[in-house]
Amino acid sequence: MENTLLRQHAEQQFAEELAALAEMDDRIRPPHWKLSPWAVATYLLGGKLANGFEVSAKYIGSRALVEIAVATLATDRALLLYGVPGTAKSWVSEHLAAAISGDSTLIVQGTAGTAEEAIRYGWNYAFLLTHGPSQDALIPSPVMRAMREGQIARVEELTRIPSDVQDALITILSEKALPIPELNAEVQAVKGFNIIATANNRDKGVNELSSALKRRFNTVILPTPATLEEEVSIVLTRSTALGRALELPAEAPAPAEVRRVVTIFRELRDGLTLDGKTKLKSPSGTLSTAEAISVVNSGLSMAGHFGDGKLHADNMAAGVTGAIVKDPVQDRVVWLEYLETVLKERDGWQDLYRACREIVE
Amino acid sequence: MNESNPIYTVFGIRHHGPGCARSLVAALDALQPDILLIEGPPEGDALLPLAASPEMRPPVALLVYAPDDPGHTAVFPFAAYSPEWQAIHYALRAAIPVRFMDLPQKHWLAIKKQEADQRISEKANEGEGESADQWISEKADQRESESPPLPLSPSPPLLPADPLDLLAHAAGFEDGEHWWEQVVEERGGDAEVFPAIVEAMGAVRAVIRELDPTPRDALEPLREATMRQTIRQAQKEGFQRIAVICGAWHAPVLVEMPSPKEDQAVLKGLPKLKVAATWVPWSYAHLAYESGYGAGVVSPGWYEHLWSERNEPTAHWLARVAGLLRDADLDASSAQVIDAVRLAETLAAIRGRARPGLEELNEAAQTVLCFGDPLPLKLVRRRLIVAEKLGQVPPDAPIVPLQADLEATQRTLRLKPETERKPYDFDLRNATDLARSALLHRLNLLDIPWGKAQHGGGGRGTFHELWTLQWDPAFTVRLVSMARWGNTLEQATTAYVAHMAGQAAALGDLTDLLDRALLADLPDAVVALTTQLQAQAALSGDVAELMSAVPPLARALRYGTVRQTSGAGAVDAAAFETILDGMIARVCIGLPLACSSLDDDAAGKMLKHLEGLQDSLGILQHDTWTMLWQETLLKLADQSGLHGLVAGRICRLLLDAGALPHADVTRRLGLALSPGTPPLQAAHWLEGFLRGSGLLLLHDETLWATLDTWITSLSAEDFVAALPLLRRTFSAFSAPERRQMGERVVGGRRAAKDGELAVDATRADAVLPLIAQLLGLNSQRKDAETQSRKEK
Repeated sequence: MENTLLRQHAEQQFAEELAALAEMDDRIRPPHWKLSPWAVATYLLGGKLANGFEVSAKYIGSRALVEIAVATLATDRALLLYGVPGTAKSWVSEHLAAAISGDSTLIVQGTAGTAEEAIRYGWNYAFLLTHGPSQDALIPSPVMRAMREGQIARVEELTRIPSDVQDALITILSEKALPIPELNAEVQAVKGFNIIATANNRDKGVNELSSALKRRFNTVILPTPATLEEEVSIVLTRSTALGRALELPAEAPAPAEVRRVVTIFRELRDGLTLDGKTKLKSPSGTLSTAEAISVVNSGLSMAGHFGDGKLHADNMAAGVTGAIVKDPVQDRVVWLEYLETVLKERDGWQDLYRACREIVE
Repeated sequence: MNESNPIYTVFGIRHHGPGCARSLVAALDALQPDILLIEGPPEGDALLPLAASPEMRPPVALLVYAPDDPGHTAVFPFAAYSPEWQAIHYALRAAIPVRFMDLPQKHWLAIKKQEADQRISEKANEGEGESADQWISEKADQRESESPPLPLSPSPPLLPADPLDLLAHAAGFEDGEHWWEQVVEERGGDAEVFPAIVEAMGAVRAVIRELDPTPRDALEPLREATMRQTIRQAQKEGFQRIAVICGAWHAPVLVEMPSPKEDQAVLKGLPKLKVAATWVPWSYAHLAYESGYGAGVVSPGWYEHLWSERNEPTAHWLARVAGLLRDADLDASSAQVIDAVRLAETLAAIRGRARPGLEELNEAAQTVLCFGDPLPLKLVRRRLIVAEKLGQVPPDAPIVPLQADLEATQRTLRLKPETERKPYDFDLRNATDLARSALLHRLNLLDIPWGKAQHGGGGRGTFHELWTLQWDPAFTVRLVSMARWGNTLEQATTAYVAHMAGQAAALGDLTDLLDRALLADLPDAVVALTTQLQAQAALSGDVAELMSAVPPLARALRYGTVRQTSGAGAVDAAAFETILDGMIARVCIGLPLACSSLDDDAAGKMLKHLEGLQDSLGILQHDTWTMLWQETLLKLADQSGLHGLVAGRICRLLLDAGALPHADVTRRLGLALSPGTPPLQAAHWLEGFLRGSGLLLLHDETLWATLDTWITSLSAEDFVAALPLLRRTFSAFSAPERRQMGERVVGGRRAAKDGELAVDATRADAVLPLIAQLLGLNSQRKDAETQSRKEK
């Protein structure tokens, strides 16, 4: 396939790496797995193979978390990736499915309107009316297909799906079978079948999982980046790449400015200054890495279109304030406290302090 | 076992390693030694038989201290699973002699004392300008030197901190701790491990010696020479199967004996100090590495589990975790435990381990039992992994230094512990009484309520404190259990207060502790508390709580020295200022929000906080804070929807501070009392404004007139509604004030009509000479004054 696609699936984009891993992988593979658990973990975390082949890192973060996720899928319990928005949940889910089954496309997107048919099966009504109920009139869901073929099915945003529809998963996960009462038949899952679901824990008005369903998932919480350096490098690479894609007329962001944004975000998110000396209140927003990227990007856009093309404090002040003050009353107090007790005293940050102060006042 | 030395066998162990302990017991059973030599202070030899007492329950610690200088101590903790403890029990069971063989503490402590003295004299030479940071790091150094250095202690920068890292890296592990855990601790317990340890450590020591020939610790050659000498002595006494138990690090140098002369030379002329030893109860929390104990282990509770649960430790552990979670009202079903066991085992398999370690178990518990939430694991960590276990020592163990310190203090201060109730009256200007008061306050902090303070008794000045003293023998038990916090009352109380500060949830608890620490004269604890207070203040969203925390801090900063205590004087005043700075800034930012939409009760409370803060700022005399505060109040005075009580009080505070011009205050009074304002709100405003002092009203003609106009303009209905509030306001004034007001109301109308008060100049002049005489003015000035008065 020529590279005219806007975005390739993981198994297409990293086909070479997957093939190299499969070749080198001499460990025991669970039934229907394309790779051994060890190789799956290596695929996600990156590393050098014995033959010198370099596997790129798909997920930058804790090794233990990836190992838990892979081990969970190997024990036939379903995996729930949980976390604030922008922590690479879907990304990890896609790559796990690609590495284990070689297919990341068996996917159910959870929305408030997701119906039971999307998880169980639907009917081809024209066929049903003319020929009566039969296997041929049945339209299998991605989950049903995964059960038949022993593959990994993905459910995105599980908590957005209405509770009664969510519970359709209980039989599938505990009995490993999907009854079709209309045909007096059932589909029994082949070894290798499992489900990776993602959900985010910040949204309001979601449908919490029933405890019966929750119990059938192993929950792995994906955290925000562990260190300042890690986060700065993620923001720098992503915003530079995005800036190029959007053809912004500004220069690439200076690492020093990015570092300041990421520092503010991290300090407020953790409720602690980086030197560990002062505790802080946290605002209601998530302040994820993704938001830091968008702040830098809008700053770049401002600088390019209205400024001298270089990212300055006043280009970012509005974006930073907007990302932090989501609740006009409580968050404003948090932000003001932060400005007065932390930023004001910090050497070389006075420009940012003044710019932010102007906007909040 | 060790073929080159048939007479003695060296067992290199890790302190507090359950796997080591198990292997050691097996090895001793096989060897059947006729004497045991254990790494530890020889001063403890006499105390060893007590270990077999049924009332002795580990964790306990062997405490060696200098009776004349309780600041210098060494602690050797033992858990049930410590190899040394098991070895001692083996020896007592088998009725064979057992001896400690390390460098005697009389030398060790003397050397440490010399070093400390040297440091102090160096510090004195450096000058007085010592910052809080320096002070704290100095303190940390001290603590390190107090606990016995572990065989694997810090090293020069070139080498890894833990020499085991060298072996671990070679075996493909991340660090030595993990490596040792898996290779030695978590395996079944076989005697073959010991020759391997000696060999491995020999290799490590050779590598390290090559990289850096200087010993890792100046005391190390001395200690190892002593150990070898003890072994030689045992050989000389004719023992045939000597078992030597020491930290793995020392094992190789005990196997290869140099000539006795070398060791004798090393040990010549060491300084000496008088020391004593005893057993004290210890706790797992103090055994844990995080408590700052050098040879500590990361997870004492887990080790105990490994020690006591030989079969199926994985399933047992996760079942205990589930039980703990259920006790905390969190769901944890048996099905989940089964799943967690499976996940832990799969994880161990992926990582190439024979059985799940603590790491895998924690991850499995978090993922399956806690639904990914790390919070419940904190409970697991506290209750199971570290475990809150306190040891016990038999009552016939020698008294602990803390007890000795209390007895010495009681003697110096001439306070006898008597079980009869006895009242005391302390005059705090007197040094002895002050020290007595501090002693009782300290004991109270340790939960030993020997003395109860009588509050507000007799209405005497602040220099008097009334106490009732009654000793209870149970206090001694409590005191012994407190011995793990320190060896003098001051040390122990300071450490205990710092510990309690870490657990205090509310800001109020902290300020309360701070007050008590100041009374107990504990400057170090005050430092710890203020740090904690700062952290809590930053998180507190409750402005009222913040405001209530300011006055005690202000008192501490300003009056710390009234009791002649070192209180805030010794504590860096700058530290206090930083905290107050942050708190006042937070209060000023949050106050407008906190004052909006208050009901009557809340407004009453807010009023107290406002006054408290105003008073504190008055005490502090800090221009920046006062300015910030007044700006906030000014902003607040214009805020709409403010409760009348608060608005009135703010106006008054501003007037008293001279921040609002008089005319403006009158205008505000007029606005507040104008017909547009609901009468109830107006009455509240007035209550807030006048509260506590009617003098203002008596002396300010305009205010009086405005008030008068308002009351007379009220309709009968509104007047009745406002009457209770007005009555409440006015009844708080003193009787003479009220009488004067009454007189003003009767006579006031006429005066108001006349426009000005009529003064009879002749009658007034008649009083002046007497006043002048009373004031001691000379006649000339009197004349001049009479003159000017007449001209007027």
